[in-house]
Amino acid sequence: MPEGAQRIVVTGLGAVSALGAGVKANWAAAREGRGAIAPHSFDPGPNGPAAHVTPAALIAGDLVGPLEAALGRKIGASLDPFALLALAPADEALTQAGLIGHPDLEHRTALVLGHGFAGIHTLEASYERFYGQKAARLHPLTVPKVMVSAPVSAVAMEFKIRGPVFAVSSACASSGHAIAQGAGFIASGACDIAVVGGSEAIATPGCLRGWEGLGAITATTCRPFSAGRDGMAIGEGGAVMVLEALDHAKARGATILAEYGGAGLSSDAFHWTQPSLDGPVSAMRAALAAADLAPDATVVISAHGTGTPLNDKNEAAAIHAVFGARAKFHPVIATKSAHGHLIGAAAALQGVIGLMALAEKVAPPILGWRGADPDCDLSLVLTPAQPIAADALLLNAFAFGGLNTALVFRRWG
Amino acid sequence: MTTLRDELLDLISAEALIDRAKLAPSATLADLGLDSVGVVSIVFAVEDKYGVEIAEDAFNDAPNLDAFLGRLETIIRARQDAILGRPEG
Repeated sequence: MPEGAQRIVVTGLGAVSALGAGVKANWAAAREGRGAIAPHSFDPGPNGPAAHVTPAALIAGDLVGPLEAALGRKIGASLDPFALLALAPADEALTQAGLIGHPDLEHRTALVLGHGFAGIHTLEASYERFYGQKAARLHPLTVPKVMVSAPVSAVAMEFKIRGPVFAVSSACASSGHAIAQGAGFIASGACDIAVVGGSEAIATPGCLRGWEGLGAITATTCRPFSAGRDGMAIGEGGAVMVLEALDHAKARGATILAEYGGAGLSSDAFHWTQPSLDGPVSAMRAALAAADLAPDATVVISAHGTGTPLNDKNEAAAIHAVFGARAKFHPVIATKSAHGHLIGAAAALQGVIGLMALAEKVAPPILGWRGADPDCDLSLVLTPAQPIAADALLLNAFAFGGLNTALVFRRWG
Repeated sequence: MTTLRDELLDLISAEALIDRAKLAPSATLADLGLDSVGVVSIVFAVEDKYGVEIAEDAFNDAPNLDAFLGRLETIIRARQDAILGRPEG
């Protein structure tokens, strides 16, 4: 880290996914290897083709009721699920950070969330009404519910965050970019606090057919780095971190959960769906250099680990290229095997789970693993969870279209 | 037994985020903070729930909530009567 640069710490975490509501529930399920991927039937209704069964990790139950109880006010039908899935973890993270109602949210606080898609549930229901039912009129809130910035607007309005507020999008790396962008506001001195993360809710009959068209979806379950892996499973949810200037956090007596080490951001500029080796390698190298870790430091690697044949092979090669002879010194986790692929929210949720692993010195197991693939020769954490003595977390997110983020967080204390 | 008017009041309360106790029959839509988006949102919810079609300008001159509800009830009852094969009126 450059002399005099502002150190950045994490003071709040929030998460919701098919593993459960709240960080505790998500961490407990990941650690105990209780995965949430299961076959679900997706029925497009009378104007679409027949219902279709696909593995996915879906959140059970009502999103609105528990959120209304937590916030103490009504929300109704004004928000798409992808915005609800940002509000809930934002409330949890800001509560943990002790920032609910804090005057500093009114100035020098940034809010940046990442989403690969937008209000797909609302969009699909609106188009079903328009093209399917041939209704001439659409709901007056269609546009504000669909727009990709709806979650940040909802979170800003709820918690009165009045600094730089916007959404970023880079498919499966969206919340990685959001975290890096928020940290940048603190590093530059423009802000003291950055509320960062992402959310995604794309498990609709039409959108899933799009993913299946890509040939990216598993027929059974997500098996990262395993022999016989055949694709990813879509998940849904959201996760939020509160990043804060170290001096600011100390001055207000906040509990520090981890230190943000740095980011490496790169683009393959190569292919829509095929990964390159150079892009992920340069992102990981840049993040590790920014974090200025000791040469003998152990990092727990939260792999992008989608369970697609190509990603996992390429990511394993990239990890070997970055760490060389020490590649197998670092434990590798791949929690998409538990919570599914949250697309734009994946990096944020894996960040929350990874930070819990770092703090509790336990690595959650990779699920669905069937046997070694010689192309994925890594120190995989398999069932059961495994004690780790890692100094830092390396968090990878590599998107279709070749957009890569790698983030490093250091263990605090 | 829940009346149609009770159902509609519940629906308006949920859709427009207005406390059920504040939905006085004599209140104007403006008193209730219902702008055009709020009214159309309610109309949408009624269309979805009761399978009716409601013209966009059906409520422009409704003097108060009681009149608004009365018009909704008329439209919904006409639809129910049509389904049950009862003569209108």
